[in-house]
Amino acid sequence: MTTRRVIPLALSLSLLFAVQGFGQTDPGVRGGGAAAGAPLASVAANNPVTILNFFNDAKDRFQEIDSVTGSLAGEEGKGLGPRFNSRSCAACHAQPAVGGTAPSVNPQVADATAHGAQNTVPSFITQNGPVREARFIFFTTNGVPDPNKPNGGVEDLYTITGRVDAGPCSIAQPGFASQLSQNNVIFRIPTPTFGLGLVENIADETLLVNQQNNFNNNQGVTGTFNHNGNDGTISRFGWKAQNKSLELFAGEAYNVEQGVTNEIFQNERPLPGEDMGIIGGQSATNGLPANCRGNATPEDHTNFNTTAIGTLSDLAQFAMFMRLLAPPTPSTTVPGGSTSINNGRSLFSAIGCAICHTPSLTSVASTFTPGLSNATANLFSDLEIHHMGTTLADNVSQGGAGGDQFRTAPLWGAGQRIFFLHDGRTKDIQAAILAHNANGSEANASSFTFFQNLSTSQRQDILNFLRSL
Amino acid sequence: MLRRQLVCLLLLLCASSLLAQLPANTILVKGAEPSASDTRTPLPEGGKLVKDVYENRYFGFSYRLPSDWTEPFSGPPPSENAGYVLGNFVPSSTFKGASRGTILITAQDLFFSIIPPRNAKELIKYSSDHLQSYYTIEHPPSEVTIAGRPFARFDYTSPVAGLHWYVLATQVRCHVIQFFLNSRDPKLLDSIVHDMDQMKLAAGDSPRCVAGYAQQNVISKVDPVLTERKFNAIPVRIIIGRDGKVKHVHVISAFASQAAIITEALLQWRFKPYLENGEAVEVETGIQFGNAPSRMQTASTPQATQ
Repeated sequence: MTTRRVIPLALSLSLLFAVQGFGQTDPGVRGGGAAAGAPLASVAANNPVTILNFFNDAKDRFQEIDSVTGSLAGEEGKGLGPRFNSRSCAACHAQPAVGGTAPSVNPQVADATAHGAQNTVPSFITQNGPVREARFIFFTTNGVPDPNKPNGGVEDLYTITGRVDAGPCSIAQPGFASQLSQNNVIFRIPTPTFGLGLVENIADETLLVNQQNNFNNNQGVTGTFNHNGNDGTISRFGWKAQNKSLELFAGEAYNVEQGVTNEIFQNERPLPGEDMGIIGGQSATNGLPANCRGNATPEDHTNFNTTAIGTLSDLAQFAMFMRLLAPPTPSTTVPGGSTSINNGRSLFSAIGCAICHTPSLTSVASTFTPGLSNATANLFSDLEIHHMGTTLADNVSQGGAGGDQFRTAPLWGAGQRIFFLHDGRTKDIQAAILAHNANGSEANASSFTFFQNLSTSQRQDILNFLRSL
Repeated sequence: MLRRQLVCLLLLLCASSLLAQLPANTILVKGAEPSASDTRTPLPEGGKLVKDVYENRYFGFSYRLPSDWTEPFSGPPPSENAGYVLGNFVPSSTFKGASRGTILITAQDLFFSIIPPRNAKELIKYSSDHLQSYYTIEHPPSEVTIAGRPFARFDYTSPVAGLHWYVLATQVRCHVIQFFLNSRDPKLLDSIVHDMDQMKLAAGDSPRCVAGYAQQNVISKVDPVLTERKFNAIPVRIIIGRDGKVKHVHVISAFASQAAIITEALLQWRFKPYLENGEAVEVETGIQFGNAPSRMQTASTPQATQ
């Protein structure tokens, strides 16, 4: 944790634990095999016929490593860079299985110098820390963050400069050190993609009814929805529920995180402001240099030369992979035993956590596969955005979500996650709960109840329940 | 002289480097938030803890916390359905009592509620009728008097958690104010309820609150033209003076550009004065802008209430 986050956390701890003590502990990442990463049961049963082929092809592509020209052995994906955060979807979405979230060993360390690249690993990327993307809160004027110029766009960590397949392209990394010293940098970690087909297929009406049913709750919680700017419908993917569809989610990530242009994001992406001739407040050449834009675009597209699964673009298959992934399977006994887990589940609802972390919602009829059709999604999220207050505010607005508003993070799969919260600042699930306490947070009441009014064994039951998910 | 100049320059450089660093744990980029056309008129979200007394001038509210209780964190901004967290209180770090609990005080603007109840009694009954299955009602809804005011009350428990909730609701200026008292010790909750008798909660000389007054009594208006598509609901309260002019605008939840446009427009609206016993009096009412939220079917028509 950075210093600026340790201090308020310590204050919170002293306020809330002075009398109660701190007897309960996070059991840690649930062991055993990965309880996620498989396709939906109907997909595994190949219903409809050939859908399993699509899933397997999609998974292969999700794991494909990208290079600039696609000509490196074992790295046939084309279009990496010129700026990127990592070289494969599955490198970052890996825990506990392909499609998940940040793994225990950060691939971004090796990414920095793979194939001759000349990047410096930023200080916030460490071997055993979370995979991260970085964003500057504000653009700068004369090197100083300017509150009149909100930024919030992804500042890719690395460039292809020096790579064997990069040609003469020579561009610099963003000035992370200076921006860090000015508190102008925030981080995001990968969100897990298990079960997203179910999330996609929950009707807006279901979400609105759920919101109404939770109105006038005993916790003072009042969430709202983020909306797609084009048609006004509820958007639901991403840390701030800023993305409407899995295609949009995949296409944006493919372009932003790996630099691969595609049918939804067709243009090579400069750094925020770089296309205006500004980098770090200093004038610069407009946009990316021509010698960094060597590939024709888009680099990924529908393949017209084939008539089989290969016809689909990577983008379309990434979306299909996420869509057809089964949600994580919870454990009924680990950790702590079934009695503790069941008790924790009940307590979780009793103290109000389930108002935001709605245990389940139901999808509507699906044309893809029966597993998505009228199915129960045990996601533990209302998909609304809520004020989380000063401790968690990242000061990036996306759509209707302001600087401290976040989508309720789905808790399915929490048991096998390593890093928590939007920036991966903690590995301790209890610290993540504590971070719900803050000035301006909707979650204060539930968190107070957890720490004030429950016994140590009850709190442990809740932690065991969360780690069973 | 030169040394003095150099010292000043050094201090200036240090100061500017400090200013350059963004403050930590601060919400700099805000979403929808409340605003008002002036700073004099009290607002529902304007309450604060002064030593151990919660005071809220809008509701005429003065409530002394139990001894050694505090408010570690302030609540969220008002919601787009005009719900407020007025205060969230817990025992402080120096609290020596045997039993601990929490006190949550909320307010819901009845002009913008998305569920049917239109007063405190109906809201308590609604809450009781829709109580989640993992709670058990201990005392069904009843009417009680606290601090000389009528309250609706019901109590429930979570058998699994061993926790008790007492919910007490009353109505002020067309808002339902609710106290959610929570503890595993009912005696603590009983004592908190007993001490609530010392509370002051009176609207005093506040405007009459009338639902729907704007829709039926406007003489002239300037429509605000919102330029950004944000899809949020924008609840607004206005106070109309005896002369029919808008004297105060409270935009409860809106993005900054939306609030500016709406406030500027509303200040130009003109209404028929509200008459009480033949005399014009100030009136407070609500207007919905932006995306109207999805509301459950109302069981009763809006009421004009104090």
